[in-house]
Amino acid sequence: MIDIQLIGLLNATLQAATLLFIAALGELITEKSGILNLGVEGMISIGAVAGFMTAINTENIFLAILIGVLSSSIFASIHALVTVVLKQDQTVSGLILTILGLALSSLLGKNYVGRKLVTKLESVTSISEPTNIVEVLISQNIIFYIAVLLMISTSLILKKTMFGRRLEAVGEDSKSSDSMGLKVAKTQFIATCVGGAFAGLSGVYLTLSYVPYWTDNMTSGRGWIALALVIFGGWKPYRTALGAVLFGFLEALVPRLQTYGFELSPYIVKITPYVITILVLVILTIYKGGKTGAPKNIGVPFFRENR
Amino acid sequence: MAIFIGSIILLIQDKSPIDTFSLMLRLSVGSVNSLSASLNKAIPLILAGLGISIINSVKLWNIGAEGQIFLGAIAVNFIYINTQINSPSIHIFVLLVAGFVGGSLCILIPAITKVVFGVNEIITTLLTNYIVFGVTIFLINGPWKDPKSLNFPAAAYVGEEVFLPTIIGKLSFGFLICILFTILAHYLKNKSVFGFEMRIAGGSAMTAVYAGINAKQKAFIAMLIGGGFAGLAGAIELLSQTHRVSTGISQGFGYTAIIVAAITGMRPLGIFLVGSLFGALSIGGSVIQTIGVSAYIADIIQASTLFGALIIQFFFTYQIKKVEND
Repeated sequence: MIDIQLIGLLNATLQAATLLFIAALGELITEKSGILNLGVEGMISIGAVAGFMTAINTENIFLAILIGVLSSSIFASIHALVTVVLKQDQTVSGLILTILGLALSSLLGKNYVGRKLVTKLESVTSISEPTNIVEVLISQNIIFYIAVLLMISTSLILKKTMFGRRLEAVGEDSKSSDSMGLKVAKTQFIATCVGGAFAGLSGVYLTLSYVPYWTDNMTSGRGWIALALVIFGGWKPYRTALGAVLFGFLEALVPRLQTYGFELSPYIVKITPYVITILVLVILTIYKGGKTGAPKNIGVPFFRENR
Repeated sequence: MAIFIGSIILLIQDKSPIDTFSLMLRLSVGSVNSLSASLNKAIPLILAGLGISIINSVKLWNIGAEGQIFLGAIAVNFIYINTQINSPSIHIFVLLVAGFVGGSLCILIPAITKVVFGVNEIITTLLTNYIVFGVTIFLINGPWKDPKSLNFPAAAYVGEEVFLPTIIGKLSFGFLICILFTILAHYLKNKSVFGFEMRIAGGSAMTAVYAGINAKQKAFIAMLIGGGFAGLAGAIELLSQTHRVSTGISQGFGYTAIIVAAITGMRPLGIFLVGSLFGALSIGGSVIQTIGVSAYIADIIQASTLFGALIIQFFFTYQIKKVEND
């Protein structure tokens, strides 16, 4: 017999993890190309609001997903334009992207606050109250399975395909890559937009399924956690997924602590993931002698003229 | 460009752009009271921005100013609760120092992990924001919770004797501290031996070795000083604005400060000017809500100004020059 509460916890963990993981995976791809995008929080908001508005107005859930993903991707292209084409500072541009994304999504979603979604993103099977682990795993909605698929395919693409190897080469050493005839700017531009698209999918998951309504700042720092996850995962898709499950577990655990009779303050539990991430970073750096898996050229603009 | 985008958004919402902008201008800098409100808002932006620019001298980033502001305020409250000083001026001075130390403490772990282990400081300073914010929430809901503040969790107010005095109108004494620290940062970065050593340490590891400069030590000290600047901002915010520890100590000042520091090219005097401008913009943004214009528009205008600034910077850096051929 497995405790029904435990099943609920597992279900909530998977959902929280999915949300974090998709955005983190997108950022991973962007960072692999050597572009740091601190605008994840803003991109998730844009995807979330665009998806929600489409769902309310058209009641077509797949169109909503599509619009959410596309609008975030287009939004991310601002960052690509400023950092890849105009070679400006990536930290600054990413932070502005967050501010712009949060403000723009609040403005767009102003008339949608409190509106109820008619067509919510439902589970792929007809199980609404899972009672065992297998049922939890088969009762998620479509985006969960897309996320699993994306995890496997991203790992394969990065390791096995020409595009993946080129992406990594550009992020590691853009100058040599350019000498080898790789198109640095084009690769980085695409990687940034793909990262935006993933963040958009994460945003759509947030408003169409995780909390099916719209309020201001509803991303509540998840974009920043996604950034931390990439580092936690050492720029590897599977380890990032593991980190997402851990962070998702802690997020799911906090509201349930009291029912289990723990006296631990929920506020302290909330900061543990960040403390763990710092510890993991330190341990990784010590053991691997500075090789945390970070792309070498991250944050460094590429000037062909200075080569 | 920003005004253009702002105008379009306003027109869509059936509001006259000219009226709105002139109202924003009038309510942010039009009178002594509104000007002092704007400058008060600028204080944390400028101080945290200066801290970021000092840390950038050794080519390191500080994304953790937000957390440093909060820990500065927490340190002030901690010292306030646990000490008994009779002279108000000495008391205020001690509390301001406490804020500075609090900010330094906040960046201590990122500084150690950077210098000793080489862990990326962008990430660790970013993570400390969440840790400190979590600690703040814990304190104001737990040990420091003011029973009189029922629905809004916050610590108890500090006594009136430690409030920072005002100079003109509502302008806080903190603004004088701000001017002093701007000059100090300018001197430290550009005129002092330490500033020169910091630039070498950040510029080239080999040069630093040849010149006998301990690059790690410089980086460590620069980070502690920079963190302290942001902590001081938190102390001033507590002693002059909120008068108690709450989540309202900083409204994203630490993040805006990064942008202020970056678009001025990390120049202290520039940070002072642009920080003041941003203070005015945010006051202007919050007052236009009263005429039914959404406050997000101010954020959008701000963000597009910044993107505009980045794009202009590009065209200044890479001008096409005509070269005469013989």
